[in-house]
Amino acid sequence: MLKQCRAVLERELFYMWRDKSLRHILLIGPLLGLLLFAGVYSYQRIGNIPTGIVDLDNSSASRQVVEELKNSQNLQVAAYFDSFAQLKESIKRGEVIVGVVIPDNFGKNVALHRQTRVAVVIDGMNMAYATNASSAILTVTRTFGAQVGIQTLIAQGIQANQAQEAYQSIAFPEEAWFNPTLNYAYFTVLGFALNVWQQCLTLAACMTIIGENGLRSWLQIKTSGISSAVLFFCKSLVHIAVFMLIVFPLYYLAFVVFKLPLACGWLNLLSFTLIFIIALHSLGTMMSSISRNAVDASRYGMIIALPAFVISGYTWPLEAMPQWVQHAAWFLPQTWFFQGLNYLTFKNPGWGFMSHYYLALGLMAVLFYSVAALRLMVENFLPKGGLM
Amino acid sequence: MKQILNIAYYEMMHILKERVLFLMIFFVPLLYASLFGLVYVSGILQHVPLGIVDLDHSKESRDVVSAFENTPDFKVIPEVTTYAALEKGMKTGLIRAGVVIPEDYSQKLSQHQLTQILTIYDGSNLIYGFNTRKYFQQVLNTFSADHTAAYLSGLGMTKHEITNVMDTVSYSMEIWYNPTLSYATFIYMGLALMIFQQIGLLGIGLTATREKERNTWIQFLSAAVSPWKIFLGKALPYYIANFFNYGLVMWVAVRFVNVKIEGSVALIVLLGLLFDIIVVSAGFVVSVYVPNSLLVTRYLMLISVPIFVSSGYSWPSTHIPKIINELVRLMPYTWMAEGFRLLTVKNLGFSYLVDKIIVLIVMAAISLFFALTFSKRRKPPAQTGLAVNGSISYPDKSCLRL
Repeated sequence: MLKQCRAVLERELFYMWRDKSLRHILLIGPLLGLLLFAGVYSYQRIGNIPTGIVDLDNSSASRQVVEELKNSQNLQVAAYFDSFAQLKESIKRGEVIVGVVIPDNFGKNVALHRQTRVAVVIDGMNMAYATNASSAILTVTRTFGAQVGIQTLIAQGIQANQAQEAYQSIAFPEEAWFNPTLNYAYFTVLGFALNVWQQCLTLAACMTIIGENGLRSWLQIKTSGISSAVLFFCKSLVHIAVFMLIVFPLYYLAFVVFKLPLACGWLNLLSFTLIFIIALHSLGTMMSSISRNAVDASRYGMIIALPAFVISGYTWPLEAMPQWVQHAAWFLPQTWFFQGLNYLTFKNPGWGFMSHYYLALGLMAVLFYSVAALRLMVENFLPKGGLM
Repeated sequence: MKQILNIAYYEMMHILKERVLFLMIFFVPLLYASLFGLVYVSGILQHVPLGIVDLDHSKESRDVVSAFENTPDFKVIPEVTTYAALEKGMKTGLIRAGVVIPEDYSQKLSQHQLTQILTIYDGSNLIYGFNTRKYFQQVLNTFSADHTAAYLSGLGMTKHEITNVMDTVSYSMEIWYNPTLSYATFIYMGLALMIFQQIGLLGIGLTATREKERNTWIQFLSAAVSPWKIFLGKALPYYIANFFNYGLVMWVAVRFVNVKIEGSVALIVLLGLLFDIIVVSAGFVVSVYVPNSLLVTRYLMLISVPIFVSSGYSWPSTHIPKIINELVRLMPYTWMAEGFRLLTVKNLGFSYLVDKIIVLIVMAAISLFFALTFSKRRKPPAQTGLAVNGSISYPDKSCLRL
């Protein structure tokens, strides 16, 4: 029995290595993905949002507004325009994202404490820009509004400390937890790379059964007396071990070289990855068992693997999806994995919380492997016009 | 012409007979469009779960709580009342944001001392993070203005005087092109165009490999039919089906997902036709030169995520290193997605899209050239290595039937 197992293990490892396309996909795909995504997000933050100014007043007060904008953390004054039409054209062309129009007589009105209005326009086409720009503008308007208000009150004879208190008696400090610098690379790089990784694994897992019973050698295997259970158990063992080995360099690059956050320990992360690999492999195996050939198995597997990341709520939150979609999403192992990964890498909420994730992935693995085994048994007992 | 139509008819029969291929071409685009539509249908992130730790329990602190309760952007979670609960709630995802009002809040206000309200948000998901930060600023700007107005009123100023002081400089902020900052308008069509590309490539990508696997490709190669006729005949059904899917996906986007699609219909059609030519001809070339359907499926499935992420559609290309930008400019998707967005979201005219259209025309011409002039010399199947990588075969249960 042990000898038989060893032979199957060696054979499977050899077969996986000889499958050149699969070998390339597994060895190169995830690493290339990680390097590419790390490159894409190497700027890490959306800063220096190009801002265009139309200063129709050119007074010291209007220049003070421009200074405030220049001092803003995320805005970069990139162009000055003579008219609103020029600003509009520049926003259309995507040269500036934020436009600020300071009206005629702005300084005079401020000095005379008459009302005046500064118009701010934000290009909402790209949300990464738009949400950051909105926040930056809201901060500037509050700060500048307070400064002008204080000056106005003092000019009206209110004592300086009272004027200041009216505007600045409450401070609103903000803290971003788990990712204090709001670093996009922390948020996205590992998620996207593991998305490519899980797609590669799915392609490999989809070969588990069809890679045997779709070949003529299947007849020899059946007549050799080795049980299907032993055969597929040993095959799965090799697949899972290989999948696990592939993730090591990925994690090394992500956490050691690129220094992405890892709130939990390595053991937690690796054990969670292992249970996900088992669940994903079981899903691929199930797809493999119900397919007529390897192409269909890959298609079925990838039909789930391709949209799984979007549905998992890793980027657009699950809570913002309709209720029943949220429930349906939890039927996919990828949802448990990507949600769990986010918790483990950023928050480490502890075993009591994460145990549900382990349990769900474990149950899925049992379910999917059972369906695959059942399907294989039925096929063996009820041959359809074939020799099996 | 008759030869082309005959080949097209034969290809159509294949599509209709092969159930999985039929479903992939006519059902999967709708399935994915609906799936992503459901994911992004709400478009705007609202009701961010918020925990408020009010350590003061005064009238003044309740005003702060009310400010957050009266906005649809937040949903106050009543279970969170202590800092420890807030920490735990943030860790377990029960809440995504928190407000801490210190115990001496009202006392300091009454003593005219500086006090503070701490705002906390979850940076582990930046869609939550950035939206929550914006919502905090909106609420606090309003709250701050109300507080200032109340203070000035306490100094004996009239309502008119207060308005005059506070509105000395006011700001009007307008968001153009996507005024509600809807994520559906932002991301949905980018994903939909990726579906269009992938399903288009996978459909025609199997057209020649299928023939090779059935040993019928040799008939095409040896017949007195020019390569360009074989390509046109084979590509015609896919070209029409893809264009149908292009329209279908847009219909789903506008009708059910409330995605903003404006702009010239002629330009939308032109972009679709050009992109369709590129997808169909590139898919055909892949199919001719790759030995079997399994390899086509494996490789084509994996390109979607890297292309989408690096295309500059979600993360702006101004913040992507130059070398990656140059590489992704070789991808038709980059030009198509950007052109489509400028057209449909910004409602720009031809003059703004001319560079995108020219690049797509050049790409279409190049891919068409290779598809129309493919070599009819057949590469013999590899004699070494695993069959799946070099030969026309791959694991298939039908090989066991007698």
